[in-house]
Amino acid sequence: MRIIKKKQAMPTLLALLLVCLLAGCNSAPKPTATSVPAAPTSASALEPTSTPAPPPAPEPVALTLPGDDWGYPSPFAFYSRGPGYLRMSFIFDTLTWKDEEGVIPWLADNWDVSEDGTEWIFTLHPGVTWHDGTALTVEDVAFTFDYLKEHQESFQWSWPVDKVARTEIVDERTVTLYLTEPIAGCHVDLVGSVPIIPKHVWENMEDPAKFTAEEAVIGTGPFKLVEYSKEEARYVYEANADYFKGSPAADTLIFIKVENEALALETGTTDYASFWGREIEAVQAFEDNENYGIIGGPSFWVLQMIFNTQKTPFDDVELRRAVAHAIDREEIVEQVTHGGAIVASPGIISPFTDWHNPNLPVYEYDPAKAKAMLEDLGVTDLNLMLITTGGFAREAELVQADLAEIGIEVEIQTGDRSTIDGLLREGNFDLAINGHGGIANPAILRTPTWPAESYSNDEYDRLYQQQASTVDEEARRELVWQLQAIIAEDLPVLTLWHPKMWTVYDASKLDTWFYTKGGVGLGIPIAMNKLIFLER
Amino acid sequence: MSRLLGAIRGQKLALVGLAVLAFFGLLAVFAPWLSPHDPEEMDAPMLPPTGSHPLGTNDIGQDILSELFYGARFSLLVGFLSAGISTVIGVVLGVISGYYDRLGFTIMRVVDVFLAVPRFPMMVFLAAFLRPGLWTLVLFFVLFGWTKTTRLVRSQILSERNNGYVEAARMVGASDFRIIGRHLLPSTVPIALVRLIVEFQHVILAESGLSFLGLGDPTVKSWGTMLHYAFGYPTIFISDVWVWWAVPPGVCLTLVVLALTFIGFSLEERANPRLRRAWKRGRITDTPEHGEERDGAKSVRLPSKIHAVRPRTTT
Amino acid sequence: MRVAQYLITLFVLLSLNFFLPRMMPGDPLSYLLGDPSTDAPILLTEEMRENLLEYYGLNKPLAEQYKDYLLGLARGDLGWSIYYNAPVSSLLLGRLKWTLFLSGTAAVIYITLGILLGAFSARKRGTKTDVGLLVSVFSLGSWPPFFLGMLLIIFFSFKLDAFPIGGAQSPGAAQAGGFEWVKDVLHHWFLPCLSLVLTHLPGIYLLTRNSMLGVLGEDYVRTARSKGIREHRVLLRHALPNALLPIVTTIAMRFGFMIMGTMFVEVVFAYPGMGTLIYQAGAARDYPLLQGGFLLTMAFVVFFNLAADLLYARLDPRVRRA
Repeated sequence: MRIIKKKQAMPTLLALLLVCLLAGCNSAPKPTATSVPAAPTSASALEPTSTPAPPPAPEPVALTLPGDDWGYPSPFAFYSRGPGYLRMSFIFDTLTWKDEEGVIPWLADNWDVSEDGTEWIFTLHPGVTWHDGTALTVEDVAFTFDYLKEHQESFQWSWPVDKVARTEIVDERTVTLYLTEPIAGCHVDLVGSVPIIPKHVWENMEDPAKFTAEEAVIGTGPFKLVEYSKEEARYVYEANADYFKGSPAADTLIFIKVENEALALETGTTDYASFWGREIEAVQAFEDNENYGIIGGPSFWVLQMIFNTQKTPFDDVELRRAVAHAIDREEIVEQVTHGGAIVASPGIISPFTDWHNPNLPVYEYDPAKAKAMLEDLGVTDLNLMLITTGGFAREAELVQADLAEIGIEVEIQTGDRSTIDGLLREGNFDLAINGHGGIANPAILRTPTWPAESYSNDEYDRLYQQQASTVDEEARRELVWQLQAIIAEDLPVLTLWHPKMWTVYDASKLDTWFYTKGGVGLGIPIAMNKLIFLER
Repeated sequence: MSRLLGAIRGQKLALVGLAVLAFFGLLAVFAPWLSPHDPEEMDAPMLPPTGSHPLGTNDIGQDILSELFYGARFSLLVGFLSAGISTVIGVVLGVISGYYDRLGFTIMRVVDVFLAVPRFPMMVFLAAFLRPGLWTLVLFFVLFGWTKTTRLVRSQILSERNNGYVEAARMVGASDFRIIGRHLLPSTVPIALVRLIVEFQHVILAESGLSFLGLGDPTVKSWGTMLHYAFGYPTIFISDVWVWWAVPPGVCLTLVVLALTFIGFSLEERANPRLRRAWKRGRITDTPEHGEERDGAKSVRLPSKIHAVRPRTTT
Repeated sequence: MRVAQYLITLFVLLSLNFFLPRMMPGDPLSYLLGDPSTDAPILLTEEMRENLLEYYGLNKPLAEQYKDYLLGLARGDLGWSIYYNAPVSSLLLGRLKWTLFLSGTAAVIYITLGILLGAFSARKRGTKTDVGLLVSVFSLGSWPPFFLGMLLIIFFSFKLDAFPIGGAQSPGAAQAGGFEWVKDVLHHWFLPCLSLVLTHLPGIYLLTRNSMLGVLGEDYVRTARSKGIREHRVLLRHALPNALLPIVTTIAMRFGFMIMGTMFVEVVFAYPGMGTLIYQAGAARDYPLLQGGFLLTMAFVVFFNLAADLLYARLDPRVRRA
């Protein structure tokens, strides 16, 4: 053991520290924040805008966007959680797509549906090629749906595939999709989200989820995957100059992991950030800065308080209504979200969507009335268990305080998400605060996890099934309105708030951001539609 | 025992530590009277420090200063209870395993298992099946806190039990119980005290860490949960909120830990027999310089090659 | 008899490894399907749920899963991560290198510093230097590690813009390679390392100081001094080696806890190490990954405990001779 002479130790240590400090300061230069901005390309870039922007910039543009590891962006390997779908959507195309106004043709030039809604005929756009140069044919389209049917357990994001009976190639540009029953919104939900995959790559692939070789990301999309590092959560995309909709506005797309989106945007590490709900204060920090554009968008999400209707005391609808009158939802929105949300519609569906029913009963905050109702029911000395994840502990505290005022004792139990999910499934709770929704699709009105464990209503299920196969939009809307009315009256859940959403972006890099009508694909509300790179 | 207390009184550092600890203890006890508001009461959220809210308000409008005072209660209580209980268990098991060999070996294997068990899933597990709160946390810390104490006490007992007086007691016919209780147990007190302090420190830091990660009970008022909400706030980096929201609880935690360190440090100085000897024998603390006067005698440095000191016939 | 007991301990640990993740309430599917508070919901039917459970082998009876686990271990196969959709072993290795880098370098620094400062303090015991050093070392090291980390980030990363706010390297830096990459890695390493060093320094410092004090009071030191040996030789050649003995074993044991010990710092600085991996895997109930992670952690603990015992036996001549 070599022993350093003590007297020489101190200076050596100091020198070591100094070296460390120097190593720290002499770093590779970071992308600098533009506190003194480069001259904006046009006047409209200065104002927060939500209207279509000027054409793509002529100079090579590299865009850095924040994110995390969402899996390898092949159609089967991306994580079903999170925006993995969006990452994949840059590489693969669907038959139809959406922009700010609604559905638009994409790989399919036009489409037709039979009277009964079970036959969909698509005409393919000519001259589209895969990234490896081979041509896209109707065989690829037919193969895609057949393959998906066969491997249904390998993905979870497009559920009506089991309703596809078969596919039929009519001619070299036309293909027909036969459904077992009509699917409402088929042109959006099914066809608008299923990525077309190349037959010559996936033909013999048995376990698609584990296929992560280079060929797995051969698509027709505006970008090609150049690099993916799971460890660093980094994706690098390169523009597909031969894209059938034109060359994309950005030459390189880089997704990196950042800890704090606001900070990353501010320091110029990234060029975009997305905020929601109580992150409103982060948005306000960018409001006065001319270099950033801000757009607001619809969120399709709701925070709700779930009643356990399978056991006492909440098997009684009158009690649920009494509790609804006791909760001050305005206060929750003010105190907890600081104005970053709006009081929710009792029917779950957000007023930002087309499906919203505006004629629903509202339960005004009225503790005196709530107390009176309790007395009428003869309910005293209630002691309840409220479960929630840590993220909504604040809301839980306010609910606890509100219910205490009318004489109901609430005990709060928090846990992590898996714990709470488990408790919800077991029905081991009285009240639960949980979020729901997230896509602009009436399909969210009935899922196995909501409100299955603690709510059963045959009429509701029947109506739901009916609307799922009603192709006519007006008729479907009628049914969806009825569903919301049932929820609002029967109160299996008390909705609390809908978050507002914002996108803040560096206007000098790219300012074509917009919110898709009805959300991207299945209805993802984030403003990351590949159309921002293309002419619209 | 009184010898130890006397020793502590002599150490200035320990006094400082005790003073700080006492300060926080009083704060905790008198929190309801000292706090300007009820910590559950809600005003406008995210207010900066002003007259009625000396430290501003948190994200749902509760007064931060009041939270700070009440937070002292929870943090100190968890620390004290956990440290106390796990030290007692540690001493008992340590004595048993030190005195009885076969049992001791088995206990040591149990210690091995507990040491290797990862704490994180245990915490989630406990929190899910018991009501998250004070006693769940205490249970968690006790479960993982007794092992070190047991080991240390066991070593102590192993070396003590061969001492003369134990042999003597046995020969006189004293029962095991009496030997343990009268002779061996008291010798563990210094170690136990030091372990108590160290464990107290550890629990306070760990509780704050768990709460920060969101594994504790977020509805309880503790310094850790304050930090959890403060650092979790969306604009934490791009505003100055952290100065009055995150810094106070962090500083309080640090001060308590520091105080405990000073106390523990002086206890250890006295408790550790080797250190004590160093105190007593400290008369020659360094080699005198050539020609230096010490205790009335002049030192002479001999050439280093000579390894024995030969008495000089002349002075 | 003893061997049998050790084997039983090992078996218990391996089994705990299997059962602990499953004892946590919930299952891997919640996390697999997204965060209801931010992501698009996955509309899962009971049938799909069953399919998923079957795909991941989660609906087999527990005994059978246990058997598969043990057989897999024997083969050296750690399984496939549900959350990350990748083999567990590659994930572990990828993360382990960062944890080893961070903790290893921090350990070298705080151990060296701790020993030097501790010995120095012991030498100057009672003087203002000693007390001053004591107070400063402890004032810096008593901060809760995550709090210190956050403060460092706010000051140095955000206010002064001198360091990045997290991560182990800048995106694309590894591609650049060479000296640029090394500088980038060091740049990211500095603050987390500083946090670790400050947090662990007091422990080693105090240990060394006390050990040195104990040794300085021994007879042989007094003898050495009376012989006229120069002070610095007394300290370095006679006192320190003996003082370091108990420290070495403590340090070796501390290394055992390296993986979980850095978890807070890793989480705060988003350092892609084992700590964050296990934390994420725990939240996601990713059983195979948790099993693998815990196995590695336990292996570390056991290995370093053994190393500590062996080292002590080798270093302490009294034990060696015995």
